[in-house]
Amino acid sequence: MPTDSEKIETIGAATPENSASLNPLAADPELLSDFILESREHLTSIELQLLTLDQEPANAEAIHAIFRGFHTIKGMAGFLDQDAVRDVAHEVETILDLARNGQLTITSAVIDRILESKDYLTRCMAELETSLQTGTLVSPAANVALLDAIRSLSAPGGSGEKVGFQPAAPVTPERASPAALPVETVSAPIEPVVLATQGLAELAREVAQVPAEAPAESSGTPESVDGPKAGAARTTGARSIKVDTTKLDYLVDMVGEMVIAQSLVRHDPDLAIGVKPRLGRNLSQLARITDEVQRTAMSMRMIPVGQLFQKTSRLVRDLSRKAGKQVDLELFGEDTELDRNIVEDLADPLMHMVRNSVDHGIETPEERTRNGKPATARVTLKAGHQAGQIVIQVSDDGRGLNQAKILRKAIEKGLISADAQLSETEIFNLIFHPGFSTADQITDVSGRGVGMDVVRKSVQKLRGRIDVTSRPGEGTTFLLKLPLTLAIIDGLVVGVGGQRYIVPIFAVREMLKPPEDSISTLQGRQEMAMVRGSLLPLVRLHQRFGVKPRFENPWDSLLIVSESGGRHFCLMVDELIGKQEVVIKSLGETMANIAGVAGGAILGDGRVGLILDLEGLFGASNSE
Amino acid sequence: MSTLTAPAQNSPASQKLDQRAGKYLTFGLGNEEFAIQVLRVREIMGIQEITAVPQTPSYVKGVLNLRGKVIPVVDLRLKFGLPELEYTQRTCIIVAQIESQNGKLMIGIIVDGVSEVLTLQAADIEDTPDFGNGVETPYILGMAKIKNKVKILLDISMVFTAQEVQRLGGVTG
Repeated sequence: MPTDSEKIETIGAATPENSASLNPLAADPELLSDFILESREHLTSIELQLLTLDQEPANAEAIHAIFRGFHTIKGMAGFLDQDAVRDVAHEVETILDLARNGQLTITSAVIDRILESKDYLTRCMAELETSLQTGTLVSPAANVALLDAIRSLSAPGGSGEKVGFQPAAPVTPERASPAALPVETVSAPIEPVVLATQGLAELAREVAQVPAEAPAESSGTPESVDGPKAGAARTTGARSIKVDTTKLDYLVDMVGEMVIAQSLVRHDPDLAIGVKPRLGRNLSQLARITDEVQRTAMSMRMIPVGQLFQKTSRLVRDLSRKAGKQVDLELFGEDTELDRNIVEDLADPLMHMVRNSVDHGIETPEERTRNGKPATARVTLKAGHQAGQIVIQVSDDGRGLNQAKILRKAIEKGLISADAQLSETEIFNLIFHPGFSTADQITDVSGRGVGMDVVRKSVQKLRGRIDVTSRPGEGTTFLLKLPLTLAIIDGLVVGVGGQRYIVPIFAVREMLKPPEDSISTLQGRQEMAMVRGSLLPLVRLHQRFGVKPRFENPWDSLLIVSESGGRHFCLMVDELIGKQEVVIKSLGETMANIAGVAGGAILGDGRVGLILDLEGLFGASNSE
Repeated sequence: MSTLTAPAQNSPASQKLDQRAGKYLTFGLGNEEFAIQVLRVREIMGIQEITAVPQTPSYVKGVLNLRGKVIPVVDLRLKFGLPELEYTQRTCIIVAQIESQNGKLMIGIIVDGVSEVLTLQAADIEDTPDFGNGVETPYILGMAKIKNKVKILLDISMVFTAQEVQRLGGVTG
């Protein structure tokens, strides 16, 4: 577009010193969003390393890692004219450089300040992102207070004469090429893209060299400059790439189809008659490969739970300092892998539980020593596999739940009657009631139990369950049990007439063919079945779905004793066809709200089977 | 940006005709011939097993598996109030992309059989005649006369109007 370059030239001629408005790349939304994405990654790892550094202040590796993170952010920010970001990153880098050279000791005040800077930069990224979305680019304002605070750190150290008091925009060797960029942009409006790319590539190379502390390479023209992304990729290393999650989901879908198509071929009746050995061999080879591909595709959606745990370490640090408590956070099984969606939805409940533990479970150091416990408390997060499920455990060694208190509160709130006889588990489960709190007992922030109903709801949404155990004076443990993935459920394939349905297995208690005399009716309409001494309502699936069944009599058909929302009922179907793991698919927005149907799944023969939503089924039949 | 400055010389009427001209897929339904824009058609497949979904209107035959995607299928005969017909070898499912309030949506449409793809000029297309009696036909783009036969041009998104599309899922008994 000729108009653009013209504009640049005219502005450039008018205010040559105003380089900020001259950099055409600074406003490139794609570059900016790359910058935001990448900075966020760096900030996450910075926080992690900082917390390590907090534990072991002499950890040189951690200092280097943090330095590299800030250095990269600074470089990118300078390149994109994000001065506020660049200045903060630069000042932190200066501090870290001092620490690296042993001229500054890392104290927790220093870490606090760096954490603060990290938080500020995170906010800047959020601001930039919103301004990208709205289309009007507003660079975050400079944070002078923070800059001064960081600079003051290096001042009392005394030996900061080398780098400690550089101006906000110094020309350090690392910064030379990007800083020089805008000037060239003015003189040659056609070339800035090429120059800029070189600039970033050089920058990237330098960043890569920082850990090795090698002297700067002679900067010839890079042979392959694919664009800014090439430089960015080199800084983060080639161990992983970013892929759009919708692509990933599509791939998993397609692989599922492939597996089904493969099994269709394999079980084709024409092939079954006279399979030649060679064909048979090739077919089973194909089956093995598809199996492997499916496993790999599934695993791509899995991410280690460690990322989630690391978020809590910051929370524990902040909370414990604020409350004047000494808390050690211990993490186990961070490599345990979970479906990405589960990890995302688990973040909030986990935060709630950890906050509860630190806030209320753990006593002050004085109280702990008085009770003969070590002054430093322990909060443990554990993840692991157990019987095809993921188990996550949050435990503390604090004062434990106060049963009497919970009981009294529950009676006050009218949740239970005053003379109710409850087991220990039942008492503990009361804390999951909405709005239940024993606030007066504990701190000003909240009472144990606040938010616990949210925790339970989120866990149930993930088709998991939560249990709590506690011993007075010894601590509390929350145990979360979750499915490995949300995408797949184990189901019973049942037939009614010509249709097949999938019953989620987690809701099935037992299956039986009832004797004729166990069926009774209520007022001639409502049917009931006597199962193991209790009368359960009978729901005829064919009636609910308007399908013509093969059997009209319950004693000819199969009853599936199911549980929904704590209540049991019998679902009447014609027959059990099999058990299968199925990939859950939505029926699309047009059919999203059909009572009794949770979704669809593609069965072994390529047809769609409906997954039953037992709660919806039972609820709808009740309202009839 | 010289393209933008080009003055719009077409009158609204001729513009409307221009928009209607193009390639159409024709298909039979009873004694009538219909046509929908080829651009809307994703693929055509023979009749296959469809999974019935409860609590939907009778013209919604259910859902089917389109290479891993679950899409709704409707019988256009029933939708247009024609008598139901046994599916044969000629029966086809046209997979079309329709516009709904929440974006694009794939839908399978059962028709008696597809015929051919026609290129229609603006001159071939006539407006829908006024049937009187306040019969509204917003889903008919127009009529095309090809070799003395009339093809009814359908706006397939309007056949399943926003309300209708919603109702596919909204009927909960």
